[in-house]
Amino acid sequence: MRIWLAALAFLGTATVVAAHPDVTSVRANAQQLTTWDGVYTTTQADRGEKLYADRCARCHGDALQGVEAAPALAGPSFYGNWDGETLDALFQRMRTSMPQDRPGSLTRAENADVLAYMLRVGKYPAGMEPLDGQGGTLTRIRVLMYRPQP
Amino acid sequence: MTRRRVLICVAAALIAAWATAPRGQGGAPRGEWPAYGGDLGHTRYAPLDQITAANFNDLEVAWRFKTDNLGPRPEFNLQSTPLMVRGRLYSTGGTRRAVVALDAATGELLWVHSEDEGARAAASPRQLSGRGLAYWSDGKEERILYVTTGYRLVALDARTGNPIPGFGRNGVVDLKADLDPGLDLTTAPIGLHATPTIAGNVVIVGAAFETGANPKSRRNVKGAVRGFDVRSGKRLWMFKTIPEPGEVGHESWENDSWAYTGNTGVWAQISADEELGLAYLPVELPTHDYYGGARPGNGLFGESLVAIDYRTGERKWHFQLVHHGIWDMDIPCAPILADIRVNGRTIKAIAQPTKQGFLYVFDRVTGEPVWPIEERPVPQGDTPGEKYSPTQPFPTRPAAYDRQGLSVDDLIDFTPALRAEAVKTVAQYRIGSLFTPPAVSRAEGPIATLAMATQAPATNWPGGSYDPETHVVYLHSQSAVATLGLVPPAEGTADGVRYHQGTVLTGARRTGGSGSATGQAGGAATAPTVQGLPLVKPPYGRISAINLDSGSILWQVPHGETPDAIRNHPALKSLNIPRTGRPGNVGTLVTRTLVIAGEPGFGPTPSGQRGSLLRAYDKRTGADAGAVFLPAPQTGSPMTYMLNGRQYLIVAISGGSYSGELLAFRLP
Repeated sequence: MRIWLAALAFLGTATVVAAHPDVTSVRANAQQLTTWDGVYTTTQADRGEKLYADRCARCHGDALQGVEAAPALAGPSFYGNWDGETLDALFQRMRTSMPQDRPGSLTRAENADVLAYMLRVGKYPAGMEPLDGQGGTLTRIRVLMYRPQP
Repeated sequence: MTRRRVLICVAAALIAAWATAPRGQGGAPRGEWPAYGGDLGHTRYAPLDQITAANFNDLEVAWRFKTDNLGPRPEFNLQSTPLMVRGRLYSTGGTRRAVVALDAATGELLWVHSEDEGARAAASPRQLSGRGLAYWSDGKEERILYVTTGYRLVALDARTGNPIPGFGRNGVVDLKADLDPGLDLTTAPIGLHATPTIAGNVVIVGAAFETGANPKSRRNVKGAVRGFDVRSGKRLWMFKTIPEPGEVGHESWENDSWAYTGNTGVWAQISADEELGLAYLPVELPTHDYYGGARPGNGLFGESLVAIDYRTGERKWHFQLVHHGIWDMDIPCAPILADIRVNGRTIKAIAQPTKQGFLYVFDRVTGEPVWPIEERPVPQGDTPGEKYSPTQPFPTRPAAYDRQGLSVDDLIDFTPALRAEAVKTVAQYRIGSLFTPPAVSRAEGPIATLAMATQAPATNWPGGSYDPETHVVYLHSQSAVATLGLVPPAEGTADGVRYHQGTVLTGARRTGGSGSATGQAGGAATAPTVQGLPLVKPPYGRISAINLDSGSILWQVPHGETPDAIRNHPALKSLNIPRTGRPGNVGTLVTRTLVIAGEPGFGPTPSGQRGSLLRAYDKRTGADAGAVFLPAPQTGSPMTYMLNGRQYLIVAISGGSYSGELLAFRLP
């Protein structure tokens, strides 16, 4: 079974939904969000998928599974490193140190696209607004392995 | 002679004796830590007892040193074990593998040395800051030696950080040019994460390559080991790990496969016994980690422990741990020197931890196994073109210290439903005992072989530690499953190579592997999971104590709090799951009373704060003896020293969004 399929099963309690109805207003109020709140768009993830294949898969694997010392970017191993962190922390790590053969060679927008693709593989729901690699909103979005209980 | 002159002479003699005394297996001497493994025997032992179970939880951060600005960008995988000699602490760090000297009491930066190697470093198969460096002194001079990212051996004045003008060319020996003048100095894929080993006045250096899972060709650079004069940098000898015609072991390469096969390097730490004049080389496997069709035969000295005279490079003995390896069972870490007493007989022994979860124990003078190692029949596969070894060596003592292969009994068993799902999953794969071969991947099955203690190793590069007073080895290991499948290489990626690692589900592997990667990941990430949970039942990581006088396992404890991914999993909510341990590569430290090791990866902490824990265990029993918070997991191995009457504990941490940092603890 491909790893990401396993990851999908692992996160199977979540269903992909369309836009979170309150995303815009929530952002406007500068409230804390999580990766479950529809924080990227499908179009953005599509762009990220191509970038990932070109620039990231060589080390992290076609299925984001991680290989040997290259960490997984989805699934349990990924959460071991990032559960509870802000998307900004992950974004800054990508921006400053990746891809290893040419660190910093992706633009902020491209890094945001790759991040959107990682969220999609992680079975987080898409939304109406793209991840913003410029505006600092990433600092308000937290990576959570499980959907928060209401 | 005046009384004053007598005193000066006595003092000089004492210093010379201090500098030239054999540094074998007695643990780190004089409260210092002068070698990567504490001593040349890699005991990772210090007979210090200020920090104990009674006060471990009182430890405070004495200082911290961030490595971000040692290179053009931060590093997130700092694997160093620093050295401490005469109040100075030395370490590599940063994305340019700089060397720093710090005040060991305060962490103040004393000097920094950095080499900008440009494209040569960028093309190296071993990136980032490496595992550390080596120290040498004759009582007058003090030198620091290390291998750069671009595979050059550099000698520095330990007091100033300045290159030694008389060593090589302006302090540098080009290890590529010295190995083979025909190598492209920029692009030839060879490097090293390990530190040099300095025994006597000889600097011993190995070699590391790109991953062998998807080689571009059956032909590769050969991983010879070399000795250099520590004063001049002149090469003294070269030991060829692939023997040439007329040399011992040459006959183990059939069809002249010795001529083109490469790798077989020593990328792990090398140990030495200065009394015997021997160095001990843990050798990796030859080119192609999972398919040996192009190299029929046992392939010496692949996956062998080799003893050589470090003054001449002459082989003294060898023992092959795996014949014709196809499981990526590179010997991954330093063998440990241990003077033990078995059945009333004193033996100068050497103990080799391994990926396959066996601790192989030999008489280090003769190479004879301390307890019989038996050749036993092993499963044979059906990969076209492969010629399997019909038998493999099995130690009769100590018993394996972690799980090997994969059986239904190993599978997850938190609930019957999870077990049933796991059984259904593995039905598509080949499973079996240790040395079950990789499978050619087929959609109808087997998709691959699933096995523990292979590519996802029991013990990896940090190795183990050893208490020379009680003759007990302590080491961490993980229970993680690897997927060993073979598929034809993707078009245009290989010249004459029949298979690459991969499956029909994922295609052929394209990844660069350990040497070219930046983070830390358990091997379990590459294997199927069950609802996101590990395929196998816990423990996922453990620390074992193994008595080398009796060859018996004294105790084992899970190492690492249960991950949130398991603790909070919806399918496990009603269960009370004891500490599971966590997978990873973890180095241990032994002191007078404690075994000390950081938990791998981020995990639950008592305060709820994101981070990890540095744990201590009672070394007699394995009982918890304390834990202190780390803002990021241990990625180097801990070391300790005494300075101005206080014991310090240093650990390199990093991971996730936390960049590399040396963290120093001491009591209030």
